[in-house]
Amino acid sequence: MRHILAKELKLNLKSFLIWSLSVGLLGLACILLYQSMQGEMKEMADAFSNMGAFSDAFGMSTLSIATLKGYFATEVGTVHGLGGGMFAAILAIGMLSKEEEGHSGEFLFSLPVSRTKVIIAKGLCVAIYLVLFTLVCGILYVSGFAYLGEEIPAAQLATFMGRQMLMNFEVAGICFAISSLSWKNRMGAGIALAMLFYFYDVIGRVVPDLKDYLFVGPYSYVNAAEIFTDADTPVKAIILGISVTVCGVVFAFYYYNKRDLAG
Amino acid sequence: MENVIEIKNLTKSYGKNRGVIDVNLNVKEGDIFGFLGPNGAGKSTTIRSMLGFLKFSEGSIRILGMDSVKDHEKILSEVGYMPSEAWFYNTMKVSDVIRYAADVRGIDCSEEAAKICEKLKVGTDKRIKELSLGNRKKVSIVCAMQHKPKLFIFDEPTSGLDPLVQKHFFELINEYVEKGATCLLSTHVLSEVNKYCKTAAIMREGRLTMLDSPKIDDETFLSFYEDEEEK
Repeated sequence: MRHILAKELKLNLKSFLIWSLSVGLLGLACILLYQSMQGEMKEMADAFSNMGAFSDAFGMSTLSIATLKGYFATEVGTVHGLGGGMFAAILAIGMLSKEEEGHSGEFLFSLPVSRTKVIIAKGLCVAIYLVLFTLVCGILYVSGFAYLGEEIPAAQLATFMGRQMLMNFEVAGICFAISSLSWKNRMGAGIALAMLFYFYDVIGRVVPDLKDYLFVGPYSYVNAAEIFTDADTPVKAIILGISVTVCGVVFAFYYYNKRDLAG
Repeated sequence: MENVIEIKNLTKSYGKNRGVIDVNLNVKEGDIFGFLGPNGAGKSTTIRSMLGFLKFSEGSIRILGMDSVKDHEKILSEVGYMPSEAWFYNTMKVSDVIRYAADVRGIDCSEEAAKICEKLKVGTDKRIKELSLGNRKKVSIVCAMQHKPKLFIFDEPTSGLDPLVQKHFFELINEYVEKGATCLLSTHVLSEVNKYCKTAAIMREGRLTMLDSPKIDDETFLSFYEDEEEK
C-alpha cells in the first residue's frame, strides 16, 4: 500500500506545487500590497462598510478593511477559500476514476492489492496534500505579516486555516465519493461544485431568507470576517461538515468495492 | 495433474446485456490454453471475472485451488496478467513502472526483469507516453512475467508486436511453462493456437465450448467468427 501512496504522491506533486504556490503567493502578494494601499483603504473602508447586505456578505460591516486583519480576512480569505476548495475538488474527484479513464486500472488491480488498500492509499494522498496545502499557504501568509512587521493574530489565523482545511476535506470527501461512482475524471464538475458551494455561501449572506440554511454549505464555517471578529463558533455547520466528509469517504469505500471496474 | 483454473457455472450480465452464461472451464497445470472467440463473445468478461475486476452474479471461480473472491490478493500474487491494451501511468518512466509492479508485489524482481527486458529489447529510460502500442505491450509482458507467476493470463498479447518479439515472447512462455507455470492465452491468431496451445476452447455469445484439439484449419477457425444466423 505504501508504494501506491508514494506513486500517488509523486503523480500529484506538480498539481500540489502549482496550487499551493499559486494560492499562497497570491495571498502573500495581497498582504504585501497592504502598505501601499493603506492610505486609500481608509476611504474605501467607510464606503464598503455602508453597503448593506453586500457589506454583511463580505464581512466589511464588522471588520474594517483599513486594518491588516480586516484586509486579510476580506481579500486573502476569498482567495484562499476559493483556491483551496478548487484544489481539493480537482485532487479528489479524479483520484479513483482516473484509473479507469486512463486505462491504468487493469495494471493496478492486477497487482496483489485489494481495492480497499488502493482506496486507503489514494485517500491518504488527498489528506496529505490538503494538510500540506494548508501549511504552505499558512507559512506564506505568516511570512507576509512578519515582513510588514505587523502583529500576527495567531489564534485567529490558526482557526481560519484549520477551518479552511476542514472545508477542503469536506469538498474532497464529496468529490472522492463522486470519483468512486465515475469511470471518467469529472474535473469540470469538481471545479463547478467548489464554485457552487462558494456562491451559495455568498448569496446566503446577501439574501436574508437563506441565512437559516447557510450552515448546509461548507463555506459557512470558514467566513474570515466571522473568525477574525471572534464570532461564535458555528458548531452545527462544523459537525455537518465533518459528517459529510466521513459519509463521502465511507460511500467511496462501499461503492468502489462492490462495483465492476471498466477496462 | 491439478486444475489451475476451475470455473463452475459462471454467469455475468451487465444489466440487461449478456456477459457470459453458465461457463464451465478447467485448465490443468502446465497447459497453454487457447481461449478463442469473436469480439464481444465474453472472453474478456471471463478473464476480468477471474481477476476480480468484475463482480459476477452466479457461479464460482477457483484459481490455484483458491477462491477468486475470498483469496483475491493471494491469487493475484501468483498471477501474471497482460491486458489487451497495455496502459500505465503516462508520466512514469518504463523502469519506474516495472519497479513499481515489483514493489507492490513486495519482491525484488530486478534480475528477472533485466533478463526479459534484454530478450524483448525493452528501452527502460523512456516515459510511457512516448511509447508505441507495441512497446507498451513489451512493458506489460515484463510486468506480467518478472515475478515468475504460476499462472499467466494473456489477453491478445501479440497484437502490435513485431514478429521477432512475438517469437521471443512465446519462447519465454514455453520456458516458464516448462518450469511448471500454466498459461491462458486469449487470441485471434490461428497460428499461435496451432503452434503453442495444448488445449483450447471457443467462446460464442457468452457460452463456452471445449475444442477436441487446438490443431484446427483455417476454415474451421473462421467458422467460429461467423454469426450464428449465417451458419
